[in-house]
Amino acid sequence: MFLTNVVIASAHHAGPLFKLGPLEVTSEITTMWGVMILILLVSFLGTRNMKRIPSGLQNILEMGIEMYENFWTDILGKKRTRELMPILATFFILILCSNYTGLLPLSGTLPGLKPPTSNVSTTAGLAICVFFLVLYYNLKVQGPIGYIKHLIGPMPAISFLMLPLNIVEQFTRPLSLALRLYGSVYGEEMVVMSLAALCPLVLPLTMQVMGILFGAIQAFVFTLLASIYLEEATAVHH
Amino acid sequence: MDIHPDTIIFAMINFCILVVGLKVFLYKPVCNMLDSRREEVINNLNSAEEAKLEAQKLKDEYAAQIQNARAEAQDIINQAAKIGEQTKVDIVTEAREEAARLTARAQEEIAREKSEALAEIRNEIAEMAVLAAEKVVGKTIDAKDHENMVNNFVKEVGEAK
Repeated sequence: MFLTNVVIASAHHAGPLFKLGPLEVTSEITTMWGVMILILLVSFLGTRNMKRIPSGLQNILEMGIEMYENFWTDILGKKRTRELMPILATFFILILCSNYTGLLPLSGTLPGLKPPTSNVSTTAGLAICVFFLVLYYNLKVQGPIGYIKHLIGPMPAISFLMLPLNIVEQFTRPLSLALRLYGSVYGEEMVVMSLAALCPLVLPLTMQVMGILFGAIQAFVFTLLASIYLEEATAVHH
Repeated sequence: MDIHPDTIIFAMINFCILVVGLKVFLYKPVCNMLDSRREEVINNLNSAEEAKLEAQKLKDEYAAQIQNARAEAQDIINQAAKIGEQTKVDIVTEAREEAARLTARAQEEIAREKSEALAEIRNEIAEMAVLAAEKVVGKTIDAKDHENMVNNFVKEVGEAK
């Protein structure tokens, strides 16, 4: 029990590793950089010498992009998919890879290696990106007046009720996105650590195998909800 | 669950960098490749469809040409057979006519030769008769007697024959 508490405490109170200008860099951010470098490196290697008949990594990347495209075309339509897919696919890839860093050995205990999505600040950062993207597309597609009208709702008589509700909704959406992702990954991390403290070999392994599934599901849910919010924001245009 | 503003800012910046990076290194090249390949496939399919239609058109054309050629060949054969038949009839007719003409000429020749031979024989016999008569009678006979004698003799010879 003592060991469990120590592990959880070390994971919980991991402070900043170093400072980059005025900003403090935490283990989640260094892990995120590692994930980003890996993603960009794989992308670069897969697309640096593209051939008409794909093979190897190019084949996998093309298949993945085509799969994303087909999936989001059903939700957003072809034109909006081309515009929004880079954002949505980046959310998915980044969150998925970030979640899977929790499966690495010593993840969460080694300084500089901690699943980025196990910290609410990181998930909040991603959710804030969604918030601003939704706001941007709302303003772009409907214009400021159209957006305010949208917030007021179709019935002016009850606008005094609908306006605050809709404004609150705009903020609760990213909040729910951030907390859902954070809660899931953080919870899983805590369970793995607790189980590792109890029985270091067998028990965490079962949880980690399930973590593969949970990580994918959480990345998918976050991206799917973001795509639905963006679809609503760009719907008038189409 | 403590909020760390620096981490929020870093997360946002990281996300933006990754979107730009992936757009440059992944989405753009892959989407361009997929689009060009899709376009190529569509073009190839269209070309194949056009080639198929063209081939079908040529096939129909050739089939029509073969049909025409066959009909023409049949016409030529029929015409040749007709001409051959006509030529055969002409040749046979001509041959028959020639044969008839030759037969007639031969008969005519025979008749003429016969009459000539008869005349010659008659003259010789007459001369011989005159000579014999001269010797028997011992005098010269005049032209009228001579003629009568010859005619009688010839008549007798003819009857005797």
